[in-house]
Amino acid sequence: MLCEKCGKNVATTHIRTVVNGVSTEKHLCSECAKNENIAALGDNGLSGMLASMFGDVLSVNHPDSENRCKCCGSTFSDIANKGKAGCPECYKTFYGEFLPYIKRVHGSVKHIGKTPIIEAETKKEQPDTVSSLKEKLSKLISEEKFEQAAQVRDRIRELEGRQ
Amino acid sequence: MSYWFNNEGPQSDIAVSTRVRLARNINGFPFPALMNDTQKREVNSKVKEAISQCDIPSIGKLKYIEMSAVPENERYSMLERHIASREFVLNSDNKAIILSEDESVSIMIGEEDHIRIQVILPGLQLEKAYEIANRIDDILCEKLDLAFDENLGFITECPTNLGTGLRASVMLHLPVSESTGDILRLTKSVNKIGFTVRGMYGEGSGAEGSLYQISNQITLGISEKNAVDNLKVISEQIINKERELQKNLNKIKTEDLCMRALGVLRYARVLTSAELIKLIGRVKLGMNIGVINESINPIKILIEGQPYMLMKTYGSMTEDERDIYRAQMVRNALK
Repeated sequence: MLCEKCGKNVATTHIRTVVNGVSTEKHLCSECAKNENIAALGDNGLSGMLASMFGDVLSVNHPDSENRCKCCGSTFSDIANKGKAGCPECYKTFYGEFLPYIKRVHGSVKHIGKTPIIEAETKKEQPDTVSSLKEKLSKLISEEKFEQAAQVRDRIRELEGRQ
Repeated sequence: MSYWFNNEGPQSDIAVSTRVRLARNINGFPFPALMNDTQKREVNSKVKEAISQCDIPSIGKLKYIEMSAVPENERYSMLERHIASREFVLNSDNKAIILSEDESVSIMIGEEDHIRIQVILPGLQLEKAYEIANRIDDILCEKLDLAFDENLGFITECPTNLGTGLRASVMLHLPVSESTGDILRLTKSVNKIGFTVRGMYGEGSGAEGSLYQISNQITLGISEKNAVDNLKVISEQIINKERELQKNLNKIKTEDLCMRALGVLRYARVLTSAELIKLIGRVKLGMNIGVINESINPIKILIEGQPYMLMKTYGSMTEDERDIYRAQMVRNALK
């Protein structure tokens, strides 16, 4: 598809505008898009887009704005401004603040991919079996952890019901 | 030097290259943007040490290179060979890169994240590229204290990379899908399912030479295998569509277009970068539909004709001089 303005180059910038429910489309080459002051999404990268998603944090006077990451000193406003964290610790410090934005980007807040080997070995999750759960149940009862024991008992019933 | 693009891979009539990258960070250090020089050097040596114990026969020897020691032309040419990012080569202070001999493996240290493992292969080879990246990552996981959270997965500077830290991308040559406007429909539909379509050199670049990069956007809540498999299925559908469109082209008009392109490339004395990318794409199309029957590797010619690739070989020169050397290089390649 050629640029609708110059008709020479291939259209690589596609803009759809919706005003009062009426949608219009524009297809321009990068040159004409630049002349029309339309920045490509990529100009600021995904992080630019992300910073704009953090927008509401910046306009609201955040009650925790003075709270700083112990490791790198970043505030959550710093992070929201850049769309990027200061250090790995920031995610622990501002976990609650991060979650809604992470959810917006990925649609999920639960990792289901690879786990570093050392963690994988210690936390390897075996599928629950009735016998392993019964063992767990008697251990929990002996430790008088009745609430957890009740949960395990329910899980055993569920598994036995399925068989 | 035998680079990754010297060979052709599976489905290379349409699929130019496959790239997989994993973003990793080390606990106890700020992300590179906030690191001081001492911390940067410390991270470099930690990664260097960890990788020195990497012994994977299929990728061969890995070489650690301090970026500040690399001459400018060579540094920028890394971008043109797709082994380093723009940000990384523009500001190279206290950054380092680890390369395999054919550069199909490149590990950037001190880019946006502490570590970026990249594997690039010719053609469509997603599983293989991920497998290699994953084996290197296994070594890093074992030797380094990598930042990881049970819920957020591998921790990265930008929240868009959290989780697997995996970005898989496939570069496709789609001249006919582009001219019919199919690309537009494609971009819309892949966006809906968490994939993105971009120009050749990533963010912000136009699709020069009908080269499009398709990659996954979502990294949290999806496994590596699913992300790679989904991209493979999408790529194959796009490839098949392009093949079908190429088959149905008007034979004589296309033949004329492709042969004219070959003629100019074979005889031109002055050749700009933009002209090369446009014409070499037509030669590639001509080879696909059986109009041009010569053993040419268009992608190799395209990459070797990039400005810094030329200056790396022939020394620094002006743009006008480059156009002359480019024409000469292309003539030799098409002899």
